[in-house]
Amino acid sequence: MIKVSHVSKSFRHGKNAVNDLSFEVQPGETLVLLGTSGCGKTTTLRMINRLLIPDQGDIFIGTKNIRTESPENLRRNIGYVLQNTGLFPHYTVLENISIVPQLLQWDKSRIRNRALTLMEKLRLPPATYAHVYPQQLSGGQQQRVGLARALAADPPILLMDEPFGALDPLTRISVRNEFKLLDELNSKTIILVTHDVEEAFELGSRICIMNEGRIQQMGAATELLFNPANDFVRHFLDKQRLELELKSLRLRDIWPYLDGSNSGNGTLLSADTNCWDTLEYLIQDKAGSTFRNEEKQLDGNILMNAINAYKKTVSQHGHT
Amino acid sequence: MDTPETFLDFVRQQSGKLLEQTLTHTGLTFISVLIAVCIGVPAGILISRRQKLAGPVLGITGILQTIPSIALLGFMIPLLGIGPKPAIVALFLYALLPVVRNTYTGIQGVDPNVMEAATGMGLSPRQLLLKVQLPLAMPVILAGIRTATVINVGVATLAAYIAAGGLGEFIFGGIALNNTHMMLAGAIPAALLAILFDWGLSRLQRLNMRKARKTTLVLPAILLLLSSFYLLPETYNSRLKAGFTPEFMGRKDGAIGLGTVYGLHLRTLVISDMIMYKAAYEKKLDVISGSSTDGRVKAFDLVVLEDDKHIFPPYYAAPVVRQAVLDKYPELAPALDQLSGTINDSIMTELNYRVDYLKQNPQQVAKDFLVSAGLWKPARNGTKGVIRIGAKIFGDGYILANMYKMLIEGYTDLTATTKTGLGGTKIVFDALVNDQIDMYPEYTGTGLLVILQAPQQTVDSIIGDSQKVYDYVKEGFARQYQVQWLKPIGFNNTYALMMRREQASRLHISSISDLATYVHH
Ligand SMILES: Nc1ncnc2c1ncn2[C@@H]1O[C@H](COP(=O)(O)OP(=O)(O)O)[C@@H](O)[C@H]1O
Ligand SMILES: [Mg+2]
Repeated sequence: MIKVSHVSKSFRHGKNAVNDLSFEVQPGETLVLLGTSGCGKTTTLRMINRLLIPDQGDIFIGTKNIRTESPENLRRNIGYVLQNTGLFPHYTVLENISIVPQLLQWDKSRIRNRALTLMEKLRLPPATYAHVYPQQLSGGQQQRVGLARALAADPPILLMDEPFGALDPLTRISVRNEFKLLDELNSKTIILVTHDVEEAFELGSRICIMNEGRIQQMGAATELLFNPANDFVRHFLDKQRLELELKSLRLRDIWPYLDGSNSGNGTLLSADTNCWDTLEYLIQDKAGSTFRNEEKQLDGNILMNAINAYKKTVSQHGHT
Repeated sequence: MDTPETFLDFVRQQSGKLLEQTLTHTGLTFISVLIAVCIGVPAGILISRRQKLAGPVLGITGILQTIPSIALLGFMIPLLGIGPKPAIVALFLYALLPVVRNTYTGIQGVDPNVMEAATGMGLSPRQLLLKVQLPLAMPVILAGIRTATVINVGVATLAAYIAAGGLGEFIFGGIALNNTHMMLAGAIPAALLAILFDWGLSRLQRLNMRKARKTTLVLPAILLLLSSFYLLPETYNSRLKAGFTPEFMGRKDGAIGLGTVYGLHLRTLVISDMIMYKAAYEKKLDVISGSSTDGRVKAFDLVVLEDDKHIFPPYYAAPVVRQAVLDKYPELAPALDQLSGTINDSIMTELNYRVDYLKQNPQQVAKDFLVSAGLWKPARNGTKGVIRIGAKIFGDGYILANMYKMLIEGYTDLTATTKTGLGGTKIVFDALVNDQIDMYPEYTGTGLLVILQAPQQTVDSIIGDSQKVYDYVKEGFARQYQVQWLKPIGFNNTYALMMRREQASRLHISSISDLATYVHH
């Protein structure tokens, strides 16, 4: 668990870059810090691994105040992924991945096995890439090496600062998809920084929207969408609202409002399928779904009506 | 030894010396660069961490860089004496700026993303330095070392002025002797060394990343190896250490003659005339090549060794006077000749000492001497005519001109004016034949070699006999220029080997033969 408590930070001749910030991240959770550039996301992240010291407030990992630990020890147990990778240009891929285990003085064969395993998992065949220097890799490959390097010592916590930010849109999506599927990440507590709304909704268990060093709202995707705390949050999400709503609502969420007969024909979709995917499916084929032993027939109209009904209820009565 | 015909002959003949000088040169260059690296790299690292120090440190090393090299060497002598120590310190100071500055900029230039990642992964400051900053700054640091090396190959030629050896010995010897072969034998290897080292270091710089990490280890080893060259020539040694001027080194009537005639071979340093006497006094040198009547011989309590086999040409001083003046004023010659036989080498040395070293007024010194020799008479203030006396800017001439003025005015009804400070031999002699002066004191050796430019065979046949030289110039001047040599004054201002008085008497050395005997037993 990471706990950030009333943390503020300002730089010389400036207003606070981060202002009275508090949040908690549960073990295994992925918290996304989302906001326009300059709102203090990186500053927040860098305080957690003590690259910056807060002016006020405290940060705890578990129950331990990070001030009490040596910065080197703290950092060796936190994976850190940067937008511009920061790979060592004079180290090969294998050497780059081995840096932290070496600092932790693992024995040689263990380091090597671990690095090779990670390369396999991140689709960087060691035979081709182990002894190659970072400059010889594509942007996407470099970012995967950066991720492997952060994961090498299997740290319980991962801090990621716009990890896909430097990639072109197509590569970004494919690297992100690999990222989601990576078993290494299952049990990790992750704080991921991005200014990309879509990315935030796709990767975050919870999302923390920041502006001018303050938290505007923190919560699950549906809370931000359907119960925005203020105008800033509302406007921030407006551009992609439809797509975000469709993607964050699952069939089970709107089940009571689905007004379909139960004459099931076509494919049966899981109730965990989100509305966006369901719509895509319906374009090609007929489909239905079952939830709590109830079967419903789906089509575009039924789906959209249900979503509107859901939104109306939620905005009147709050989130359930 | 014959004069070599071509440049290659010279190189072949002097190959041993050339090799020694080249090794010394390389050694001097790299010892100083090595020290500059040992101090400059840590200094560069320090100022990259303490930004406040960067300005002052780079400023000071920058100022050092702008001090003219010969002046910097000059500053070193009072502090560190002569020889390799001051040379290395001066070279080190020159090498410092490029090394410090490039270390600093190299470290500053490391990608901040890489630094952020490295720190964020938990590298300690020390690991950060050794694993990230230094390896990544290495190409820039190497460029600095390269600059420092090339600068130092050039500046190290000046080390020859302060007895630290190197290719400057040939270069400055060649210049002093107007010997182009010798000059090139120093200058060409120096240029080649600069090109070679520059090329070698540029190769190191261009190695790829992986090897660049290894150069961090290889470089000090290479520097150390090249530095050790300086020690090699020092390993053989004679019992006494000599210091000769570049000019003396290359002359047949100098160091070469010492070898061929006396069989004397000393471990010899080449050194500038300006600091040679003091170095002997301070026991940095045991034997030096001086000028026998130089005031510093007395100032530093040195003794002149007798040239018992007569290799140094005679430079007896005597007044030279235009014949026309002697004819017009017959009383002039007897007045001037009174000085003949009164001043020997040690008296002239003493007089020079009082003028050059004690800074006494030359007129006063001249008068004091004449009084003590019983020759002084008050001026008669006669009106018969005016004699214009010339003198060269340096040395004995100044004092002698004053003595002649007093003799003329005391013993005749003539008056005299002095025109001292007439450049060199050529200027003062031209003034004489063009009727701008009437007389000046000259040396027989100069008359023979510079003014009459006697043919080599003639010189060889008479040079060992001072009387024959005097007769030759007397006859030649009278015939060619209608100028008369009067009687020699008595002292001989020639090359001389000299030692500290105390050491010479302890070792029972009074002549060059004694010295040769002592050195080779
Ligand atoms: N090292 C620094 N020195 C001075 N100002 C900084 C520094 N780092 C960040 N800032 C300022 O703090 C604010 C927040 O920056 P940052 O946390 O990098 O924003 P974000 O990562 O959200 O784009 C910005 O106004 C930025 O200019
Ligand atoms: Mg940022």
